[in-house]
Amino acid sequence: MSTFAFIVGGILPGIAVVIFIVGMVYRLSVWLKIPQPGRMTLFPASEGTTKAVVAEALFFPSLFRGDRVLWTFAWVFHATLALVALGHIRVITGFVDRVLMAMGMSAEGIATMSGTVGGIAGVILFATGTLLLIRRLTMQRVREISGLPDFFALLLLIAIIFTGDMMRFGAHFELEQTRIWARSLVTFSPQIPQHGMFLTHALLALLLIMYIPFSKILHFGGIFFTQSLIKRR
Amino acid sequence: MSRRKKVEDAITAINQGPKVLKLYMEMCARCGTCASQCPVYYAKPEKDINPVIRSDLIRAIYKKLSTTSGKLMGELVGARDFSEDDFEKWAEDFYECTGCRRCATYCPFGIDNSVITRKGRAILHELGLTPAVMQRVVDISLETGNTDGASPKAFMAAIEFLEEEMKEEHGIDIKIPVDVEGATYFYVPPSGDVLVNPEATTGIAKVFHVLGMADQWTMSSKCFDGANYGLFTGDDASMKADNKLYVDEAKRLGAKVMLMGECGHAYRIMKMMMEPAKWWGDLPFEITNCLQWTAIHIKAGRLQFDKTMNPMPVTYHDPCNFGRSCGIVDEPRIILEASCLDFREMYPNRGDNWCCGGGGGLSAMDTILDFRMEITGKKKMEQIRATGAKYVAAACSNCKRQLIQLMEYHNEDIVVGGVHDMLSRAILINGKAAQRIDYESGVAVESESG
Ligand code: SF4
Ligand code: SF4
Repeated sequence: MSTFAFIVGGILPGIAVVIFIVGMVYRLSVWLKIPQPGRMTLFPASEGTTKAVVAEALFFPSLFRGDRVLWTFAWVFHATLALVALGHIRVITGFVDRVLMAMGMSAEGIATMSGTVGGIAGVILFATGTLLLIRRLTMQRVREISGLPDFFALLLLIAIIFTGDMMRFGAHFELEQTRIWARSLVTFSPQIPQHGMFLTHALLALLLIMYIPFSKILHFGGIFFTQSLIKRR
Repeated sequence: MSRRKKVEDAITAINQGPKVLKLYMEMCARCGTCASQCPVYYAKPEKDINPVIRSDLIRAIYKKLSTTSGKLMGELVGARDFSEDDFEKWAEDFYECTGCRRCATYCPFGIDNSVITRKGRAILHELGLTPAVMQRVVDISLETGNTDGASPKAFMAAIEFLEEEMKEEHGIDIKIPVDVEGATYFYVPPSGDVLVNPEATTGIAKVFHVLGMADQWTMSSKCFDGANYGLFTGDDASMKADNKLYVDEAKRLGAKVMLMGECGHAYRIMKMMMEPAKWWGDLPFEITNCLQWTAIHIKAGRLQFDKTMNPMPVTYHDPCNFGRSCGIVDEPRIILEASCLDFREMYPNRGDNWCCGGGGGLSAMDTILDFRMEITGKKKMEQIRATGAKYVAAACSNCKRQLIQLMEYHNEDIVVGGVHDMLSRAILINGKAAQRIDYESGVAVESESG
């Protein structure tokens, strides 16, 4: 086993998970603790604050009213990302498979569906990610506020998407290996797939996971805080 | 304390709150939606006007001082140190945002750039760099209790004049009680509604009169201006000191209800800031505003109107502080629809309305008049023109000042006034509306139905 593979597949996952959890817990605890004197409600504010906040997190209605084009890119991008995240849980745990089988799907059926849905999702992600990048580069009001961290986050995501797509469409990769790998990590006896594209994909994804608590991507947790402050009736 | 230390302390203090500010430091996705919804950027799409760039003035220093990545990687992650020379520019930049909060309505995360603007202004205040015009308003207000610097004597003279005026209009005595201890309602208008555009105050007096409650309300000869510019200069101490005068006066008078006049930010400070944050503990009175109060009585059918007294097309400008920030949007419409023949909406409206261009105290700054007329007020001018209205009602002294100047500047023959002004002209007292001399033409206005 190469040192690179061992670091990426054996050591980094643990580090990334710890950094992510500690980082996010720290952020959340600070956000929970800090006082907010006075009310910041923006009207019209509906009676059900929680409902409104969840709606914002799921469907971005404010953005929908503010910038329809961006909403389309962003919503498709985020929704597909969520779907793909579910797909990855399936790929590493087999839990989703058990649920689907309980619902009456056959193993081949699941594999075909995963292949089709996953394949399409991968293409959509790459396309919308690229559109977001083009938007950032060409639209004046966005370009003038874009700095290195903004491009870094987006390019990192696009690179992860690209390497993921390559595993499906290019350098073929046997999915079963990831389950063995995931299981082996929990028992601290790493069995790491020796596959260049897989290792690159994993490396980039782990970097992203570690980067989230320190970057603007933590908006995926922060949105619940900021939105509940202005939606509070 | 050195200037540098003051700024550093003010910015690291964000770690202690308020919560919104801390969150805004950490999670802007830099998507550019706010710029597309900002009235200032709409008219001047330049980098310095972009809300994110303005907010970054603070955010960059915050990152430098309070984040590890900022300390290590500096500009690469948007962290920046500052120099003493930056602040002259700050004084311009932070007074180019009207604090309208429109950006927050459309931002996917609800990031309210006006909060960061106010923080920037607070730092400028610490450094003694608040624009002189603004500082003067704060100082005068703390000295005299009102932003016009009017004495109790001048106030009493104005009230007497209004009572005479109403006597002429209706042929009977309609009182404006002053300094009455034990009155249930303590009416707190913006001073402009007594000294400059007083019809809103006569409107309130007439409502009380018709309801047979003329002995249940009062004004104060010392506290007749809810306007509080500490909100705009970011100077919390002054804002609270000014606010305390009014809360103490309400307590002294023994009022049960503090009835805020047509002034958006005054109501917002009382209702959304002072009361929930318990600046002065639990209050022995409740807080409401004249729009809600009057609307309730109209809906209950207690007030009658002769709409033909207001035959011209009338539209309503939602002041950001009343609409977006306090949700008072239906009430002014109830009053205007009851008292005007041709009420028209302007679009968008209510919580989505565009700022008049004078928000955040800008309307008091004639030093930037051209900027207000050409840039911040541009969208508003377009919106008003599109309605075809001849009268724009705005429940806010700041909006009114900005809009009046806007109409003059752009040579528009459109009158700007309050909401209760329309009510004052149309409300029936003993079955008759006011017999009134028209201000512009000097001709008596006759009721068409009467
Ligand atoms: S709309 Fe919100 S998230 Fe987007 S750039 Fe503006 S403040 Fe940042
Ligand atoms: S508060 Fe209003 S003026 Fe200020 S940045 Fe936001 S939209 Fe623009």
